[in-house]
Amino acid sequence: MRPISFALIFIALAAFVAGQLLLKKAMEASNADGFHSRKFMQPFIAGIFFLTVQFFLNLGLLQRYDLSYIYPFQGLSVIIISFAAAIVLQEKLTLQLAIGAALISAGIVLVSIS
Amino acid sequence: MPMQNKPSGFANPWFQLVLSVVFVTIYELLLKRGAMETAYLMDRWAWTGISGLASLYVWVGIVLIILSLVTWLHVLRYIPLSIAFPLSQVVHVLVPLCSWLVLGERITSPRWCGIALVSLGLAIVAKPAARLEERL
Repeated sequence: MRPISFALIFIALAAFVAGQLLLKKAMEASNADGFHSRKFMQPFIAGIFFLTVQFFLNLGLLQRYDLSYIYPFQGLSVIIISFAAAIVLQEKLTLQLAIGAALISAGIVLVSIS
Repeated sequence: MPMQNKPSGFANPWFQLVLSVVFVTIYELLLKRGAMETAYLMDRWAWTGISGLASLYVWVGIVLIILSLVTWLHVLRYIPLSIAFPLSQVVHVLVPLCSWLVLGERITSPRWCGIALVSLGLAIVAKPAARLEERL
């Protein structure tokens, strides 16, 4: 695998995580300020943008590599999102949640490499 | 906390989370069916997957993709991401199970182990989720 593809996998993963965090932020803002506020619109549009970036990067990667090679990296998104939510969104991450997320990640990686 | 004023009934975010993963599971199966149905329509644009649009399965799948996004956004309004996202990964159990039961695909034993690991992780995440619900 060329270093550029490796970089692309990580950019795609980062874009997916960023997209989910932004959508979560947007939907929380919609609770307080409704759907017409900037506090909702800005993270919502940015979130959709990042998920779109991830979609096309992923499509491009799938054209060059097997799904079973690309997919395990997506399994990592579970554990990354759990930690990112704790750090960026100040959600409470218990040890139990972290262990659960790690097992789910491990399971997805195992399913996709086997 | 973003959990105040949690709606009940159809708008209950836990129910919407279940709907969301059911939609994802069904659209994955529909897209597979639709893709197989249109695989013979090979031309020089085949790599884009665009020929899949000739299948009705794919169009129903697209509707379900949109519905799954809408329900997921509703989930995000009320449930912390660090709980909702791991739980949504139940699709990695449901999709292989349904491809086995409905599409008749074979599942190798390492893959069964992976599915078991995901299930175990889900069970562990489900406990804090249940506590979160009690606090309301």
